[in-house]
Amino acid sequence: MRKTLFLIGFALLLLPVFGQVTGTVFDENKSTLPGVNIFVKGTTNGTVSDLNGSFTIDVKKGVVLVFQYTGYQNKEITIESPTEKLDVYMVPDVVNMDEVVVMGYSDKTKTEVSSAVAVLNSNQLKDVTTDDLGSMLQGKVAGVQVVDATGEPGSSSQIRIRGVSTIKPGNQEPLYVVDGIIGGSFDPNDVKTVTVLKDAGATGMYGARANKGVIVITTKSGSYGKTTFNFNASVGVKIADQGNLTMMTGPEFYDWSKELYRDPETHEIDIIKFYKAYPKYLPDSNYNWVGNGFQPAITQQYNLSASGSSKKFNYYVSGVYVNEEGTFRNTDYQKLNFRLNTEYRFNKWASLRNNVNVYTNEGSYYDYMDMYYTYLALPWDNPYTPDGTLKYIDGNTPGKWWSRDKINPFHTIDNSEHRSKGVGIDYDLVLKLKFTKWLSFTSSNRLSYSTDFSHDYVSPIAAGPYHDKGYVREQQNNWRGAITTNLLHFDFEFGKNTLNGLAGIELDGGSYEYLWNEGKGLPEGFDVPSVASSELKIGGTSTIEYFNSFISQINYNYDKRYFLTASFRVDKTSNFPPDHNTAMFPSIAASWLVSNEHFFKNVSFMNLLKLRLSYGVTGDPDIGASRFMGLFSLTSQYNSNPAAIPFQLANYDLTWEHTNEFNVGLDMSFVKRVSLTFNFYNNITKDLIVLVAQPLSQGFESRWENAGEVTNTGIELNLDAIIIKSKSVEWNFGVNFSQNTNILSGIENPFYSTVSGVSQIYRNDASIYTFILPKWLGVDVQTGAPLWEKVNDDGTKEPTSNYKDATPQEVGNALPDFLGGASTSLSWKGLSLYVSVAYQYGNDIYNYTRRFMDNDGHEPYVNAMVFKPGWSRWEKPGDVATHPSMQNADLSTENSSRYLEDGSFLKIRNVTLSYSLPRRWVSAMKMTDFVLSLRADNVYTWTGFWGQDPEVTLAKGDWSMPGVTDFKYPINRQFVFNINIKF
Amino acid sequence: MKNKYKIYALVVLIAGGIFTSCSKWDVTPRDQISTESIAKTKDGIINVTNGVYALFKDQVMFNGFIDDNNQYLRQYFQMSDFASDDIVCGQVTTDPLYYSFTYTHSPDQDNSRFFWYVAYKMINGANTVIDIIENSGEIEPDQTVYQILGENYFLRAFTEFNLLRFYAFLPTVGNPESDPGIILRLDPAEPAKKARATVKESYDQVIADARKAASLMTMVRGKEYASKEAAWALLSRVYLYLDNNDMAIAYADSVINSGRFSLETADSYPSYFPNAITRNETIFLIAFTQQDNRGKFGSIASMIYSDGNSGWGEEYASESLRDVMDEHLEDVRWKYIDTLYNEDGSVHKKNGIEVYYITKFSFQDGDPNLSSPVMFRLAEMYLNRAEGYAKKGNEAKALDDVNEIRKNRGLEESLYTSVPAGQTILDVVLKERRIELAFEGHRTYDLIRNHRDIIRKYWGYHITGIQVPDIDPNNPPSGYPGLDIKWNDPITLYYIPSDEILANDLCVQNP
Repeated sequence: MRKTLFLIGFALLLLPVFGQVTGTVFDENKSTLPGVNIFVKGTTNGTVSDLNGSFTIDVKKGVVLVFQYTGYQNKEITIESPTEKLDVYMVPDVVNMDEVVVMGYSDKTKTEVSSAVAVLNSNQLKDVTTDDLGSMLQGKVAGVQVVDATGEPGSSSQIRIRGVSTIKPGNQEPLYVVDGIIGGSFDPNDVKTVTVLKDAGATGMYGARANKGVIVITTKSGSYGKTTFNFNASVGVKIADQGNLTMMTGPEFYDWSKELYRDPETHEIDIIKFYKAYPKYLPDSNYNWVGNGFQPAITQQYNLSASGSSKKFNYYVSGVYVNEEGTFRNTDYQKLNFRLNTEYRFNKWASLRNNVNVYTNEGSYYDYMDMYYTYLALPWDNPYTPDGTLKYIDGNTPGKWWSRDKINPFHTIDNSEHRSKGVGIDYDLVLKLKFTKWLSFTSSNRLSYSTDFSHDYVSPIAAGPYHDKGYVREQQNNWRGAITTNLLHFDFEFGKNTLNGLAGIELDGGSYEYLWNEGKGLPEGFDVPSVASSELKIGGTSTIEYFNSFISQINYNYDKRYFLTASFRVDKTSNFPPDHNTAMFPSIAASWLVSNEHFFKNVSFMNLLKLRLSYGVTGDPDIGASRFMGLFSLTSQYNSNPAAIPFQLANYDLTWEHTNEFNVGLDMSFVKRVSLTFNFYNNITKDLIVLVAQPLSQGFESRWENAGEVTNTGIELNLDAIIIKSKSVEWNFGVNFSQNTNILSGIENPFYSTVSGVSQIYRNDASIYTFILPKWLGVDVQTGAPLWEKVNDDGTKEPTSNYKDATPQEVGNALPDFLGGASTSLSWKGLSLYVSVAYQYGNDIYNYTRRFMDNDGHEPYVNAMVFKPGWSRWEKPGDVATHPSMQNADLSTENSSRYLEDGSFLKIRNVTLSYSLPRRWVSAMKMTDFVLSLRADNVYTWTGFWGQDPEVTLAKGDWSMPGVTDFKYPINRQFVFNINIKF
Repeated sequence: MKNKYKIYALVVLIAGGIFTSCSKWDVTPRDQISTESIAKTKDGIINVTNGVYALFKDQVMFNGFIDDNNQYLRQYFQMSDFASDDIVCGQVTTDPLYYSFTYTHSPDQDNSRFFWYVAYKMINGANTVIDIIENSGEIEPDQTVYQILGENYFLRAFTEFNLLRFYAFLPTVGNPESDPGIILRLDPAEPAKKARATVKESYDQVIADARKAASLMTMVRGKEYASKEAAWALLSRVYLYLDNNDMAIAYADSVINSGRFSLETADSYPSYFPNAITRNETIFLIAFTQQDNRGKFGSIASMIYSDGNSGWGEEYASESLRDVMDEHLEDVRWKYIDTLYNEDGSVHKKNGIEVYYITKFSFQDGDPNLSSPVMFRLAEMYLNRAEGYAKKGNEAKALDDVNEIRKNRGLEESLYTSVPAGQTILDVVLKERRIELAFEGHRTYDLIRNHRDIIRKYWGYHITGIQVPDIDPNNPPSGYPGLDIKWNDPITLYYIPSDEILANDLCVQNP
């Protein structure tokens, strides 16, 4: 034995099979490059280049060393002699074709991808300071519409991928996949990449749930080599962005009120009569409700993470703390998020990944009525007494309170609470087994639990319906889910052919419980339900959903020139009747990498040309359980006995919505500087699940049916360019554009959706979300009366001042014609400037708030908005005016196209100025990176929309209609200072 | 290597195990019951019947959400009495209740759409029970089952009648043979689209249903539920609307002579409405428990009364009604009009209108927003009978019935011995009826069916476009449009909701 060892040792000395490679990594400017990942291909043996770009790694002869650095092409070097000293020059690349695209069930290199996907890495995400990933995507991906509909702390944005394909209420957000498993939670700080899957070639794998698009999130994992730390801190101030909305001051509203006293005969203001009702001292009272209700707020975010690896083990651990004050009185949000990602390799063929994400949050949200009153309270009323305490006002309070509603919203806000708390945990366990060279198995499993709790409390001190009684309501939501995905993967290579794929099953189940209780009669100062002494009520419900799926995919490519991907998925869900609960979702995608053809070798100006084509079927089962059954609801009672109320008409034919998606695309890159991606798509969603209106005289409003189809057709364009790239200066520019056309067809009768009297029509050959309202024609020049358009039976049109005669017409649409964004970054040495913009064109917004703020004397005691330049009120015959005479304005504020406005905008989303400290300073501090930056978000918006910010909800819900704005929480303009340190 | 295969086998086993164990495809809701399951038990039909009663008071989801404003009985009272000369509007509002004051109805107004919808939901519930009992063969008939069946016939009749008042010309106003009435839904399985029956056919159905109800009900379940007497009371009311005085008198007689009820006295009347559930004058009411307290945003009381915080308190007893009552300040019926005074003793004004709160829907359990609204009470039977006698020319009997009411309302000293000069016996009866049944949903239709105009020559925001300084306390308004509404003016009709017309092209719209 000893002899043998000796012999081996001797041999080693003679032939350097094992050894240490040392070297230095340089960038294209021959500067040393620290932080480059260096590892032996096919192993976890790796290291990172140090501050001087140098590295040392233990290797044996013949292995391939891989050099990886974001923004640069991967470099592979075969080690001929383990003792050599290497100088490695990294080549920057605008399109890194070897970059791995994480697509959920499978990962592919960019070369192999045959479908429309967009990838964003963490550097492209972290410009805007927010706790919401959606906001970070705004304007960055063609085909993705992100709406920041509210600025409430802790809120999330709405995302629509390639238009809107479903018209039923409820969830319209894309499917999220975190670390390869459907669902899950994450903090934006922990995100490494975001992949947006846009066509069926990619989303087909998610079959039944994919027709609203899929967003695949990958969280960070252990880096190679020794432990590195990253610390990030942001502190800033935010200000409510009221857009073009300015409420009137005391004197302005005084002048506005004078119009109420314009004599209908003489057309002069009867000032004597006016002064009788409105004392002359009034305009001296000038309280700024909006200015005081909304205050600058502090926002803070801290993140500390560590990552590292050893031969068998790698880990990433991260903690995030977010503390956001809200701009509106008494609103805030705090969050703590912890993530631990580890991977353990037992041996060459087995590994186990454990990912845990835990979060807890807490915040104060706002009450709609408090905001409503804050905007509408008159400047002549002051919420404070002269000694600085808040006034108590109710209907019987002596003395004058001018505002229509006898309430002091600040008093209410300060004597009430609207708090929420949440906890969530996701635990992932992924087992990977490599049976043979070509066959492997993965079992991905996740357990999820989340709960949130809300507490609404109104003190007995507050005025209003709970005065003297107090009110408390608490609600609890629990969600528990489990999912397991078990896949066999195969991978063959023979000659120039590559064939790989997977097949397996997925089982998914979740249960949801909801509980609430409320009570009144609270002792002052106490706010839990158990002290409530009267009107105690409880409620709650629970539901369960199951999914079973079969998943398969085959990928083939020939010589990295011709690519083919086909997938087939079968889904079964408990949401549909037994005869219709199973559906099949096939897809196929092909691409031709023209630039890899021999004949292309000589084309020097173009280094990439790829053609893509895909077709497939995806679905949407998102309607909740039991929507097909004939049901009576037992949630009522009569005289304290159970009562069953007709609730739902049966439809045992109800089944999935499914979308046939077609995509053709082109990827190009010129002179390694300019890259261009183009996509055209045509998505036809059939068997729409809709609530088809029933005659009310049946006792039901509607019935769930499959009816009609929506076609979304569009183009997407993405252009990135490196304009200047020299040793010290770099200037990049990117722009994206997407256009989408939406058409509804195949429905029997047009139907309407109405919220607060504003209607949208769903009819064949029209886009969904089309407003149908009486058409406003302005003001009668002679009488000052409002004018609407009446369409007679014979098609002729005439103006009418009688609202009842006005014909509802299609007057606009909530969906934009096109949208997108652009960004540019300019850097000089350590200094860099980044600017991004987002734009949207052609959508209409129904400004519901103007029914109150822009009335014609119907609501004389609510504050009015300052007129848009060009608006005027009719005073006397002959006046060409936009606003009717207050004396002749019957029903003028009723819903009509008067309040429908163009919602187009161009917004400077973000400006960031950052400074990276010189490397030698940083090294002196024993760090690898030190970046200081100043960021400004939502800097400026150009829009003709005369209201709050023009980003308006696209959600279809109980109180919300797409494109209708109604006293929203204003979005934030914020200025943030950020430090990022790596060591 | 052996270990490796063991692990493979284990993984495959676990995966297979999960696959076979987790497949439950018949998920049924936890708080809803399927239509098929209802028919299987007596409990099922009782629950559905309770559901029909509950719909009078429930805030039901409509257009995808629950609007606190929307409740059948709230609309029932607002849509009838706010159109009358008993209640004045003190505040312009975007709530569609305003259109009842201004008579500017539209097919899209929320309150009317909701009322129509819930009325037919009640009818659907009633039809479901009737169909199960009469056709399914699953339920063994006994006295309780017949009682339940009768209650459902009653509920259908009452609901149909209430729809007819809002959406069709009254039989004494138009031409009942040809005027469109309501859509008669009698079978839960009939096609979705159906035309309106004529007014005559509709009233015939109400009568048939109410009669059948009376013949089936033999139990006394409490005032919260329908009874034989409630069906008779309904028949008396309906026959009055049909101008069939003999039948109106006959059914009023049946109720009065049943011995189940007695009039409240002058002493007990002031506490009657808050406690109507336990009082003998009540024939039928809709029970509201603490659970059903709808508060400021949804109670019937909140628009007409406020303790400062409890309600909006924007509509008041009208000057017209108070003038009629001013003759007798000792009348105990004043107790349900609560004047709001300023510190200096003058009557408080809101937007220039004097605040006379109405309290017929308050103070059950002391709560300003809680009451169990009375649908039928004995006083109405006396007044129905009086009206029948008056129209038949039997002055003496008519005055007897009127006096019977007055005796019990603190007016023992002011009984009629003859018809006062300048008035007819019908004037006397209708005046008493106005005071006695004020705010209970009768006044508008009592005027119209008797060919009397609705005259509202008092200040209030039923006059559109006026401002506070326009209000001249010393002179009644004149020259404004809409002060008087002609009894046969089609604007007294509510429009059939647009939802119905759009989804049911057989249904014609009102003029």
